[in-house]
Amino acid sequence: MIALERATKLYGTVIGVNDLTVVLGPGAHGLLGPNGAGKTTLLGLVTGQLRPTMGSVRIFGEKPFGNARVLARIGYCPAADLLERRATPREWVSYLVRLNGIIAPAARQAAAMALDRVGLGEAADRPLMTLSKGMRQRTKLAGAIAHDPDLLVLDEPFVGLDPVARHDLVVLVREWAVHRSLLVASHLLHEIEALDAGLAVILGGRLVASGDAEEIHALVDSMPAEIRLDADRPRRLAEIACGSGLADSIRFDGPTGLSIGTRRPRELAALLGQAAVGETILISTLSAVDRSLEGVFDRLVQLHRGIGSGSGGVRPAAPAGLASEKVP
Amino acid sequence: MNAIRGIMAVAGFQIRRLLAPQRIIMALIGAAFPAAVILAVRRVDSGLPVELMVLLIYALVPEAVCMLGLLVTMCPVVADELERGTWQQVTVRPGGRRSLLVGTFLAAVGWTSTVALLSLALALVAAGLSRDGQIASMFVVLVLVSCVGRAALFALPAVIVPKRALVASVAVAFVVEYLAGFLPAVINQVTVSLRLRSLLVQWMGWQRRLPPELELLIDTQPPWVQVTAVLALASVMLFAASVILAWRQFPPAEES
Repeated sequence: MIALERATKLYGTVIGVNDLTVVLGPGAHGLLGPNGAGKTTLLGLVTGQLRPTMGSVRIFGEKPFGNARVLARIGYCPAADLLERRATPREWVSYLVRLNGIIAPAARQAAAMALDRVGLGEAADRPLMTLSKGMRQRTKLAGAIAHDPDLLVLDEPFVGLDPVARHDLVVLVREWAVHRSLLVASHLLHEIEALDAGLAVILGGRLVASGDAEEIHALVDSMPAEIRLDADRPRRLAEIACGSGLADSIRFDGPTGLSIGTRRPRELAALLGQAAVGETILISTLSAVDRSLEGVFDRLVQLHRGIGSGSGGVRPAAPAGLASEKVP
Repeated sequence: MNAIRGIMAVAGFQIRRLLAPQRIIMALIGAAFPAAVILAVRRVDSGLPVELMVLLIYALVPEAVCMLGLLVTMCPVVADELERGTWQQVTVRPGGRRSLLVGTFLAAVGWTSTVALLSLALALVAAGLSRDGQIASMFVVLVLVSCVGRAALFALPAVIVPKRALVASVAVAFVVEYLAGFLPAVINQVTVSLRLRSLLVQWMGWQRRLPPELELLIDTQPPWVQVTAVLALASVMLFAASVILAWRQFPPAEES
């Protein structure tokens, strides 16, 4: 359904997407990455807003840029806020549907159904400038689904939504993804997790990992984790950690700080605890890498940026090799 | 058929945008301006000849009012969408870019010509020429030709430099329309101002009274040729703008 082959997008000397190869089949997919990672550029390539500088982008087997056949099958809800002022949601969504070549009465009907579906039926005739950001967000979503596309592309769809609206949107999008395809970009992992979508992690314009949430966990488990501590004798603890063979990297953070990279964090933590008792070393703080998906995500970001366990000793395997995967 | 529906949807939506109270007030003020100038002139000298009044109306309505109206309606065709955060939603539709350009062109021509015709009616009354059907119908054609030609002309800077479209269009208006348009050379053949001037001179029967050096500033071909030339010029410029817009890309940071 979505196939990028060594796709690169440059804005002058700035890289938006960097040599990205990925194949996404039908179903729900989450595109995860921090702000500036290249998510919106990637969505721009997918939705035919942008042409790749190098490589190729195929959607439904065709190039999307300027391709009416492909664009007719895509619904896109961009991240940019809708600043249309006087139009009502009904007028705006009807207008968008008419741009798909649908006659006015049918467009009005489709708009009404879409607005009901996103829970905006009662506010459909209020000017957009009087609506909250969450309501405008739902208006954008209604515009994206009203023409019944095969692929729904959402860029940061939960921004500005209250918890109830967020829940409703999750339900709506999950229902959508049962029969059609979905690509959601977000910088918040729990949003993607809530959609039960496959994950693709993008950083610095590169795909650094892909799979489902468990696969991403397993991936990170195979990489060095990091234990950080503050102690009165950090050099002695570093010596014990190195002697045990459990440490992959060591870094001193000031006179009392110590960061140890390890693939066996539980065993190392136990060893450090024993050493602290046996040699009366005062450990004031000790923290391990967060095992939640947020922690996994942070870990991938750190690894990509070369921060963490690699800086003072043994470097972790570069995650770039994780790219180019096919996500089922 | 789908393309026409898309174009008509954009045209209708743009007209609704233009029907905002502030826009209407601005348009009414703009429409009344030529009549106010003419009244002020007549107050100073009430015995001005008809030819001078016609020249004044020509400068104020088909030139000034049409030009200003199109600057505010045609120039922001892309910039407005980028600022409103609607560019991506519109252009992700099949043929969305072309619909946006042509639909906005139609709306700009429709809106500006309506304002200019209102302005013309007021100006003719102010000049005491409201009962001269020949002059009135001549100006109606001049207004329509001016709107079509200039809207297409402003479409080019609007798609080439969307965020500086207004400045670029003013520059184009001066350099192309009022500098190149008055050069007695081949270049003036591709300007709207030459065609409008030529139509005015021919329909007013001023050709024989023009001094030889001024004859170089008009085209002596029949009126239908002048009108056809403007339509052809507008088609070429609109097509060029459409091709450029079809290839335009805006990085995410430039949007909103």
